[in-house]
Amino acid sequence: MDSSVHLDNTVMQFGDFTAIQKTDLTIQSGEFFSFLGPSGCGKTTILNMISGFIDPTQGDIKIGGKSMRGVPANKRPTSMIFQNLALFPLMTVAENIEFGLEVRGVSKSERKKASDRLLELVALEGSGAKKVSELSGGQRQRIAIARALAVEPQVLLLDEPLSALDLKLRQHMRTELKAIQRKTGITFIYITHDQGEALTMSDRVAVMSAGRIQQVADPITLYRDPHTAFVASFVGENNGVSGKVIDVNSGLVVLDCGALGKLAGRSQGNIAIGTDATLFIRPEHFRLQAENGMHTLGATIDEVNFEGAYLTLNAKTPAEQALSIQLGTHQFTESLKKGAPVSLSYNERDAIVIAGEGHV
Amino acid sequence: MFSQLKSRFGSGLAVGIIGMIAIWLIGLVILPQILMVDYSFRPNLLPADIGGPKDVYSLTNYETLFSNKIHLAIFFKTIWSSVLVTGLTLVVSYPIAFYLAKVATPQKAALCLLLLIIPFWINEILRTFSWYIILAYKGPLNALLLGLGLIDRPIRFLSGDGGVLIGMVYAYILFMIFPIYNAIESLDTNQIKAARNLGAGWIRTHWRVVIPHAKPGIATGCIMTFMLAAGSYAVPALLGSPGSRWFTQIIYNWFFEGGDWNQGAAYAFLLLIICIGFIALVMRIFKVGLGDIAK
Repeated sequence: MDSSVHLDNTVMQFGDFTAIQKTDLTIQSGEFFSFLGPSGCGKTTILNMISGFIDPTQGDIKIGGKSMRGVPANKRPTSMIFQNLALFPLMTVAENIEFGLEVRGVSKSERKKASDRLLELVALEGSGAKKVSELSGGQRQRIAIARALAVEPQVLLLDEPLSALDLKLRQHMRTELKAIQRKTGITFIYITHDQGEALTMSDRVAVMSAGRIQQVADPITLYRDPHTAFVASFVGENNGVSGKVIDVNSGLVVLDCGALGKLAGRSQGNIAIGTDATLFIRPEHFRLQAENGMHTLGATIDEVNFEGAYLTLNAKTPAEQALSIQLGTHQFTESLKKGAPVSLSYNERDAIVIAGEGHV
Repeated sequence: MFSQLKSRFGSGLAVGIIGMIAIWLIGLVILPQILMVDYSFRPNLLPADIGGPKDVYSLTNYETLFSNKIHLAIFFKTIWSSVLVTGLTLVVSYPIAFYLAKVATPQKAALCLLLLIIPFWINEILRTFSWYIILAYKGPLNALLLGLGLIDRPIRFLSGDGGVLIGMVYAYILFMIFPIYNAIESLDTNQIKAARNLGAGWIRTHWRVVIPHAKPGIATGCIMTFMLAAGSYAVPALLGSPGSRWFTQIIYNWFFEGGDWNQGAAYAFLLLIICIGFIALVMRIFKVGLGDIAK
């Protein structure tokens, strides 16, 4: 069955405020797709439009190729897992799961069969008669998933459903959600501000900022080749150094970064000589020993933090530019301490240059 | 309680506060009620006979109601009509309460609440009189309906129970709207969205999600409306016809026209007891506890 979701030149305005700029995006059938962005970037608005709680001001939402304009929320082939789960507290676990089927007029015995099967899927066999309040946070989470799956949706919408869980449980639920998605083959649309969630689970991620989709890509591409300064600094950590473009040659850009000298990196998009651009280097790409062809910056250590498997250094360049550096713990030496000078090298293939000044 | 007040205000002021509350409760609430209970069990005697050999306690005053067919009929009609008023008020109030709590923007909700409250700044008698004018045979409502061509001849709203029902629904609507509004407002909006998202239409969403959540508020509103309706005097006196007498009017007659306070007191207590019993029964049927209502 085609359960793709197409945002067809969709625009959403609330009064004068444009929550979603014109967006054209197709989410493939059976894909695990995430919208990643800070709060207020419009990702929940997208979810509300797909589920039918609001209609877009312009354009259309198509599910399985069919226009959803004017189709009310209760008639759409979507199902949503809410941030606060929104389980019905006055119903039992089984009644919660069976609610969607009850609405559809499914017989009691069929409903019972379905809820037993779903409770098994989420590993909560025999909890049907319990009250929602008797369950732990993780169990409620799984009941919410079961309730949403009970109506056999074509598209499952997830609105930051893991944000209320503790770290361990959250990591466990990531694996579980991914497994359920593979098992059911349903299109999952996941909303989060947590890049860890988006990167580990998704087939593709759309990074959003201020109502605009900045980039849509698979997680590794997103991390290695961010297209905009926003994506470069929002996804993972990044050090941005701005400068003037002095040379562009076969995908490499050389910047004049003032006191830091000439630095080079791979170019992203079209960059012209003489314009302002920003070089992004990830903390883990810095080396203490320079190898052939590497670029080197001098800096002074501000702080050394031991994090277990790795160390993070906060350092400042002579131009007062703050840098963050990540090193394997095996690279630790006594000379790495506050106030000590350090020379940081990187491979120009690991750095990227994006047009425009400054980091976001 | 005393020690709390004492630590906050000192013992002198604490005694004063407790004393005033005690005087108010005992002198103005408890003693008059006890006096009425006492009256209701004693015969109506000439002043000379009070305290004499004829002045004995008996259930005679209470038995009167059950031997008087007309009074008994009015008694049950009052209970039944109060149920009707409660039901009608609920039907009118629930959509308004839901709109105020979940649909309207805060500004619109505030405006609507103000519009609902302002008429209640006017005395109840005056408000009821204005309904008398509106519903009159040659009144504005009939004129409007005639003008719109909806009816051929004026309707006699005020003969029969129609006028009383309309007047009471209006008089007690706020007592129904506010508890339901409070209850629905505390419902997480995502619950409604979740029900819709799972395919429920509006009726089922209300029936399975909103109403069960609002049940304590609905119960509170219904109890208040029922008690006020059953104990109402002004509305049936002004808007009622001779055929639609309320039991409170019978009680009034015993007190002030029959001059028989003993009989009147017995009737008043019967009304109170039956109303409380009726409410307890309804709460039992709808599985609402006192604790739910106090929330």
